[in-house]
Amino acid sequence: MSAPAQTALARPQSGAALRAMLPWVLAALAALILPHVVPGGFGLSLLCRMGIAIVFALSFNMLLGQGGMLDFGHAVFLGLGGFLAMHAMKLADAGWWIPLPALPLVGAAGGLAVAILAGWVSTRRAGTAFAMITLGVAELVVAVVLLLPSVFGGEEGLSGDRSSGPPLLGVDFGTQIQAYYLIAAWAWAAALLMWLYTRTPLGRLANAIRDNPERVGFLGYDAARIRLLVFSLSGLFAGIAGGLAALNDEIVTAGNMSPEASSAVLVMTFIGGVGTFWGPVIGAVLITFLSVALSTVTDAWQLYSGLLFVAMVVWAPGGISGIILAHAPVVRAGFAGRLAPAYAAMLPGFFLALAGTLGLAELGFRLQSVRNGASPRPVFGMALDPQGVLPWVVAAILLLAGAWLLRRAAPAAREAWQEASVMAQVQ
Amino acid sequence: MEQLGLILLNGLVYGLLLFMLSVGLTLIFGMMGVLNLAHASFYMLGAFLAFTISIRLGFWAALIIVPVLVGLIGAVVERYGLRTVHKHGHLAELLFTFGLAFIIGEVVPLIWGRTPVPYRVPAALDFPLFSIAGNAYPAYRLFMMAVAIAMFLVLYLALARTRLGLVVRAALTHPDMVGMLGHDVPKVFTLVFGAGCALAGLAGVIAGNAFTTEPGMARSLGAIVFAIVVMGGLGSIWGALVASLLIGFVQTASISLDMPLGTALMHLGIPVNTAMLTDLWQITIARVAPVVPYVLLILVLALRPRGLMGTRSA
Amino acid sequence: MTLALHVTGLKKAFGPTKIIRGVELQVARGERHAVIGPNGAGKSTLFHLISGRLPSDAGQILLHGQDITGLAPHDIFNRGLARSFQVTSLFPRLSVFENLRAAAMRTHGCGHAFWRRLEGFAPLRRRAEEVLSLLGLERRRDVLAGALAYADQRALEIGVTIAGGAETILLDEPTAGMSRAETERAVTLIRRVSEGRTLVMIEHDLGVVFGLADTISVLAEGRVIASGPPDQVRGDPAVRTAYLGAAAETLA
Repeated sequence: MSAPAQTALARPQSGAALRAMLPWVLAALAALILPHVVPGGFGLSLLCRMGIAIVFALSFNMLLGQGGMLDFGHAVFLGLGGFLAMHAMKLADAGWWIPLPALPLVGAAGGLAVAILAGWVSTRRAGTAFAMITLGVAELVVAVVLLLPSVFGGEEGLSGDRSSGPPLLGVDFGTQIQAYYLIAAWAWAAALLMWLYTRTPLGRLANAIRDNPERVGFLGYDAARIRLLVFSLSGLFAGIAGGLAALNDEIVTAGNMSPEASSAVLVMTFIGGVGTFWGPVIGAVLITFLSVALSTVTDAWQLYSGLLFVAMVVWAPGGISGIILAHAPVVRAGFAGRLAPAYAAMLPGFFLALAGTLGLAELGFRLQSVRNGASPRPVFGMALDPQGVLPWVVAAILLLAGAWLLRRAAPAAREAWQEASVMAQVQ
Repeated sequence: MEQLGLILLNGLVYGLLLFMLSVGLTLIFGMMGVLNLAHASFYMLGAFLAFTISIRLGFWAALIIVPVLVGLIGAVVERYGLRTVHKHGHLAELLFTFGLAFIIGEVVPLIWGRTPVPYRVPAALDFPLFSIAGNAYPAYRLFMMAVAIAMFLVLYLALARTRLGLVVRAALTHPDMVGMLGHDVPKVFTLVFGAGCALAGLAGVIAGNAFTTEPGMARSLGAIVFAIVVMGGLGSIWGALVASLLIGFVQTASISLDMPLGTALMHLGIPVNTAMLTDLWQITIARVAPVVPYVLLILVLALRPRGLMGTRSA
Repeated sequence: MTLALHVTGLKKAFGPTKIIRGVELQVARGERHAVIGPNGAGKSTLFHLISGRLPSDAGQILLHGQDITGLAPHDIFNRGLARSFQVTSLFPRLSVFENLRAAAMRTHGCGHAFWRRLEGFAPLRRRAEEVLSLLGLERRRDVLAGALAYADQRALEIGVTIAGGAETILLDEPTAGMSRAETERAVTLIRRVSEGRTLVMIEHDLGVVFGLADTISVLAEGRVIASGPPDQVRGDPAVRTAYLGAAAETLA
């Protein structure tokens, strides 16, 4: 579906202010209850990661979705914020009075400072040139961090103990559940602030430079200055995520700010959807969950997230939230039933293509382990020989057949959606 | 003196290799406005495919087959991927090539493993040609140079003498006007994209065995190639050549300098307070060298986006 | 009386091609001034030079006696000059209302604030609503600008230009590509929005020009060859020589 990318605009209606706050109340309630619903320490640490990822992805989307700026080095702000927070944690260890809940503030200061510096260079340009500068900055910062082991701890990074500082109101944050509530509170507050920002003059100007930077100049604003301000604020929030990561993991390494980490936030934000405020939240939760759930099952999970990302870029540039937004009016008008047959017709092709893709990837991975002398694990419960030709041919045929079927069924599905959404509008 | 000769020779080989990579990228960038983030990934793909094919059919077969294969993959990617996202603008194209680099970066270790593969120099060229500065100089290096120069000549003639070359040159200077030349512009794009990828693949074939063929090779070279394209100026082949050789020489020379940064600065008459940031001043120039291309990339983009020899800005 | 706009000796060349070859232009405060001329005369380039989109090679541009030569577009806007574009230039993924609001932000005290709600700027909101009804686009208020019909986009283009309340307005071919009926609507709109302001417009539809303009300047081969009230320009022999073909018939 080429769902039209929707704007992040919350329509201003003064009476609806309370209704607009409803999702935030629900989110706070969910954050309170969740640790008692998900099982075990494993679930709890997953929730902590999700909270951090949500802040990080939302800060990234302040640039990409709202400001039209593609930052290939966003993890730099998280990483340097994290390092600064870790230094503060170590000072607390050494007896300074730095309460642990304030660490994300230290991270924010770090992220902001670096973003102002990096932004001063990069935000003079827009588009591809901006993206390339951020790419250079990302590589440069990681290289410099590794060159200065006295400040950043070299390859091992810096580690600390969050519970050795002064306890606050009798809480020392030694247990995971205490850390969770701290992270959840910060994530909630940071997300709320980022949402409020979208309703400020600067937030709207960011949308304007995304759409048409030149026209902004003829309306009295310097586009480069807007970019710098937005970039700095985004760095600040990424720094908060870095401070949260430091106190959650109790270690910060150059890996936290590596180009891989920057790629990861781009992938999760885009899959969630850059066209809405809440899209990145979906992406952060989903990808964080999949990265944990799938990485225990398959080694090819990164590949799957990459394939999903490219599929989204090509066919659904609005991401998951874009798909939801494109279908919400249709469903609300009660026309979901009209879509069902056309969408169902796509399922066989979809599943065939999926099976083919998974088959090829898993065979490839097993080929590797067989070469290394291990006996291959079964593929979907089937004992397949990755060195034989037949499994490969079958997988390739499944993929091609699926792609062919999808291509045939797609126009009808698109037509059905267009028809239904026009009818939903008329109603 | 011989030491200098060795550096110059190695720098030339490395620079020509960088040129093979950057020339395709700069043509694509100049004509289509697309920065192909996956370009170095095609180079990596070329090296790994050459490894596999050279086992079965030998190096010389790989030298012919792999560039064709990588070029075909590139053409398919352009035709069925890039062209689809073109309507969504440059940001979408950038995201697409980023995703492509991501996928290739995952597929390669999936098939060939995460450690370097034993892709070797062909036996016929695996002998020392002469001795310089106490080092035996491998004949294969000279072969690499010959291939790079041959490629440059072929490319130059193709651009100067063929109709397609004329269209490409027109597209570089006036990208909005090519449509009026009555040529099938999308087809030209597919061809140029495929050819650029084929050149990257060729570079992979001849460099993969001289250096190491491992899954990180695309990333370590990617940013350097972007720096070259930007420095040389978008779409400028001569600019790419000059910038490639420059970076080739600078990197090769600095790798052989063991002098600590603080000492070097003092030799230059710049006093530094070595009591602060002690580890910074003790870093050797050789370790700082890899950072140089990134600094150049940032500076050129921020200060002179049209590059050294380009006419249009990024 | 100071002139709203006073251009002297303005020159611009692209490589060897001299587009503007010493333009002299005087626009009195409060007048409706049309710039006409054959294709390729340099009308749009002249607007680009005045509004700061392109740097000039030589000459001076005074806005209410203030030198604005070489300033950036946003500085020129902040001195009271706004312009529209021949090729519609809106914020396609913002709604019509948000387009107008964004256009008026600078002059309604918003600055770059990220600590105040946009809704809190009541005069800004009122101004956006006012322009919205002026354009007659109330029913399109929440439609994305990119999804508007062409004529509505052209109207919004004018609305975005005037929303900030600039004293001097440059409109670049506001009726280009419109049908007869749409043009009439646009003329009414232009008449209303230019009340109490200085208007300079490029227009090729001479019917529109003679119906609307107080003063006409004729640009040909990069120079202003005639400038004055419509009747005077109509009779100018230099204009007749420069301006042949269909246009000359309309002039007669």
